[in-house]
Amino acid sequence: MTPILQFIAIIAVIVGTLFSLVGILGYFRLPDVYTRLHATGKVGIFGVVLLLVATVAVTPLSIGKGLILIALLLVAGPVASHAIASAAYRIGIPMTGKRDDLQQELHSEPGRKGKQRIKP
Amino acid sequence: MMPYTRLLIPLWLFYMLLTNNWQLSNMVMGMVVAGWVAWLLRPSERKIVWRTVPGALAAAVYYLGILLVDLAQSGWQVVRIILFNQPINPGIIAIPSGCDSELGTALSAHAITVTPGEMVVEINEAGVMYTHCLEVDKAAEHMERAQKMRAELLQRIFI
Amino acid sequence: MEQILTAVLYISLFLHLCMIGATAWRIWAGDNVIDRLIGVDLIGTFTLALLVIVALLGGRTIFIDVALGLAALGFVSIIALSKYLADEQMF
Repeated sequence: MTPILQFIAIIAVIVGTLFSLVGILGYFRLPDVYTRLHATGKVGIFGVVLLLVATVAVTPLSIGKGLILIALLLVAGPVASHAIASAAYRIGIPMTGKRDDLQQELHSEPGRKGKQRIKP
Repeated sequence: MMPYTRLLIPLWLFYMLLTNNWQLSNMVMGMVVAGWVAWLLRPSERKIVWRTVPGALAAAVYYLGILLVDLAQSGWQVVRIILFNQPINPGIIAIPSGCDSELGTALSAHAITVTPGEMVVEINEAGVMYTHCLEVDKAAEHMERAQKMRAELLQRIFI
Repeated sequence: MEQILTAVLYISLFLHLCMIGATAWRIWAGDNVIDRLIGVDLIGTFTLALLVIVALLGGRTIFIDVALGLAALGFVSIIALSKYLADEQMF
C-alpha cells in the first residue's frame, strides 16, 4: 500500500511543480493584467492543491488539515483574483482585446464608475 | 432549535478535523466552541423537505463532477496557450445567470472563476456576470449552455 | 520509492525558491500597481507551497498549521489591498 501512495505523491508533486512553472511563465509572457490573472490563479488552484494531495497521501496524520486547506484554497483563490480584477477595472487599467461589454454598462450607469462610486 | 443543530454538526466536525485530537475532553471543548459560533451566526429558519434530499445530493455530486472535468479541460487549454504561444483573443462578455437567489449567482460566479481562462470581473444587481475570457468567440457559445445547465442544477440543490 | 520522493521534493523546493526570486524581480520591474499586487499574491502562494514541501520533507504536520494561517492571512490582506486601491479608502 505504501509504495502506491508514494507513487501518487511523486506524480502529484511533479505535476504541481510543472503547473507552478507554467503559471509564472504566463505571468511573465502574457500581455496585460487581466490575462496574467488567469495564469497566476492557476498556481493557487492546481500547484498548491496537488502538493497538498501529495501531503495527504504520504503523511497520514495531516489528512483533516490538508482537506481543510484544499477547501480554503479552492474557495479563497477565485475570490482574491476577482477582487484584483475588479480593482483593476475600476482604476482603469487598459486591456487588450476588442470586445468589452462592461464599458457600456458602466457608461449607462454613471454612479458606478470608478473612484466616483458612492459608498453603499 | 432545528437550524442550530443543523449548523452545529459541521462546525464541530470542522473543529475536530482542525485539532486532530479525538479525546473526550477535546470533543466537549469542540461542542462548546461550535455552539458559541452557531449562536453568533444566527441561522435562518428554513424547513428541510426530506423527500427532495436524495435528488439534491445526486445533483450536488453531478455538479462537482462537471466542475472537476471543466477544471482539467480548461487548465490544459491555458497551458497550451502559455507554452506554445497560441494567439489569444481576450475580451469581456456579459452572461446572465439564470438563478433567482443571490446564493445561486454567487456559486455560479465561483464556478466560472475557478476554471482557468474565465474570470468574473463585475456582477450587477440583475445578476448579469461580466466575464473576462481568454478566447472570446469560443467561450461565448460554450458558456451560455454551461450556465443554463449549472443554474438548473443549483435550482435542484437549493430548492 | 522513498529516495525518489525525497529527490523530487528537493528539486521542487529549489524550483520554488527560483520562482520566488523571479517574482520578486518582477515586482521590482512591474508595469503598474495591479501588476505588482498580482506579484505579491503570487509570492504568498509560493510561500504556501514551500511550507507544504517542507512539511512533506520532514514529515511534520506543524508546517501545515502554519500554511493554514498564512493562507487565511494572505487572502484577507489581498482583499483589503485591492479594496484600498479601488476606492482609495479602507472602509
